[in-house]
Amino acid sequence: MMRLAAAVLVLVVVSFPVSVLPGPPVTWLAVLGGVVGGAGAVLLSVTLVTVGASVALIAYALALLIARPVDADPLAATGFGAALVVVLVLVHFAARADGAALGPAVLATQLRQWLATIAVGVLAAAGLAMAGALLGAVLAGTSLPVVVAAAALGALLTVAGLIALTTRQDPPNPT
Amino acid sequence: MSWRPSALNVSFVTLAGWALFLGVLTGRADLVIVAVPLVVALLIGRRAGATPTLRVDHTVSSDRVLEDERLTVTVTIRADGPAPLVELLEPLPSRVTVERGSAHAFFTLRAGEEVRWEFALRCRGRQRLRLGGPHCRLWGPLGLATAEARYRVTQTVAVYPHLAPLRHPPRPVRTQTYVGHHVSAAQGEGIEPGDIRPFAPGDQVRHVNWRATLRHGTLHVTRHHRERNADVVLLLDTLSEVGPPGASVVDVAARGAADLAAAYLARKDRVGLIEYGGQLRWVKPGSGRAQFQRLLDTLLDASVVFTYVTRDLDLVPPRILPPQALVVALSPLLDARFVRAATDLAARGADLVVVAVSPAPAAQAALPPSPVVDLAARLWTLERRAELDGHRRRGLTIVEWDGVGPLEVALAALRWPRLRRALAR
Repeated sequence: MMRLAAAVLVLVVVSFPVSVLPGPPVTWLAVLGGVVGGAGAVLLSVTLVTVGASVALIAYALALLIARPVDADPLAATGFGAALVVVLVLVHFAARADGAALGPAVLATQLRQWLATIAVGVLAAAGLAMAGALLGAVLAGTSLPVVVAAAALGALLTVAGLIALTTRQDPPNPT
Repeated sequence: MSWRPSALNVSFVTLAGWALFLGVLTGRADLVIVAVPLVVALLIGRRAGATPTLRVDHTVSSDRVLEDERLTVTVTIRADGPAPLVELLEPLPSRVTVERGSAHAFFTLRAGEEVRWEFALRCRGRQRLRLGGPHCRLWGPLGLATAEARYRVTQTVAVYPHLAPLRHPPRPVRTQTYVGHHVSAAQGEGIEPGDIRPFAPGDQVRHVNWRATLRHGTLHVTRHHRERNADVVLLLDTLSEVGPPGASVVDVAARGAADLAAAYLARKDRVGLIEYGGQLRWVKPGSGRAQFQRLLDTLLDASVVFTYVTRDLDLVPPRILPPQALVVALSPLLDARFVRAATDLAARGADLVVVAVSPAPAAQAALPPSPVVDLAARLWTLERRAELDGHRRRGLTIVEWDGVGPLEVALAALRWPRLRRALAR
């Protein structure tokens, strides 16, 4: 059941780039991402699903680059990000719980956690989209290299901060 | 316990990094927005809070079971704080299978809540099963942080060989002085009628044989055979082993020894055990339930210990191997040292019966089934028959047991000592 749900989510993930530009080479990349991610969903391998999702993300970027839509679509982008989160946590949980006995409240608690995280993520994405729109209006006259440099620095700092956050170990609990 | 990041963080960071990198590269805000739910999930995942203290109680239904009997393990977990996801895993040895439930479980615990987790195990083959307690893992939100601990509660469960009833074990040639179930050659009080002799003062009237009295004209009495017990020593060969763990020839021989011990002890005989292998271990002959338990415990630990040293049975004190005892040797007869020891014992006049456990079925069980393996097993069986005939010509009383069928059938030929002597010839 969890494998089926994960496979459906992988299908949803790879459908985002195709919805932006339904044609080659985006379709090829999406199919490749779908095959790898699908294999990850069947084998309950987080690594394969990550690879498949990365390919889907590249296909999405390529689709945006080729199609060049005038305005950004924050709704679709947020949905794509949320689907990525759900597919990762679902496959990770399914891989751990495969063949194990599950207590009565386990699935409900997990679903509640996931939905709450998605809700916060959607709100944060909406906030960022609005902040970006405001910032765009303010920085209308700024030259492009400065914006690109600032964006690159911001992205770099975000990734570095995430790596520092995730590799930090808590001190042992005295109890 | 302390939280540490799980491997899932790498996946989240990878995807968020990709999204941000591609967003900057392509100059599209959509890709930066894609990264937002991933970054938010990472931030939420690291807010795991303090690890709750878990109290784990681990019990087993019994500390002694027979092979293939069910053993229930009960684990009770109690958390002093909320634990959204607790993973428990009981590591099991290879010869144990889960029959009901699962040895791996997930629970959600509220503060002060107690959860009871039960699963049933089936133990294959004699062994001392050691359950070391469950591994416990707490998962933070979204599985992005984890904390681990091992609850050590060493519990040992003795898994004894399965006992098959033996109604007619080999009868001993010589009996001892205590009352038992074997008809002795000596005359006295008993049930089995023996000689008829003229009446003598002191004879009881109930022993008068009226038919003989009428025929001879004088009073005659019937004498009876005494019913006595016997000393039985089980000689277990642990010099060589063939077959997979739990179904090897030593396991089969130990199972046969347990059957024989139960059968002889039920007949009030004194039963002892000698483990003839790398270690020469023994149990002094005795009777009763305590002795049966001692024998089973010794059989449980019987295993092959490799050695080049040949230990002679002369080392065994006479109180362990009494000269009047019936010796039942259980061996695959693969090691020449055991064959030599058995031949010496028979040559010294010991009442010896060898139960030759066939190694072919055990070897077949260890190999994947194929026509070549079947053919090899048949050839080996033929070769062994010729070898056993050679041993029989040297004076050994041997019965072959494949370990699959009942031991009772294999021992049917040895039911009477006279038949046994004929078999030895």
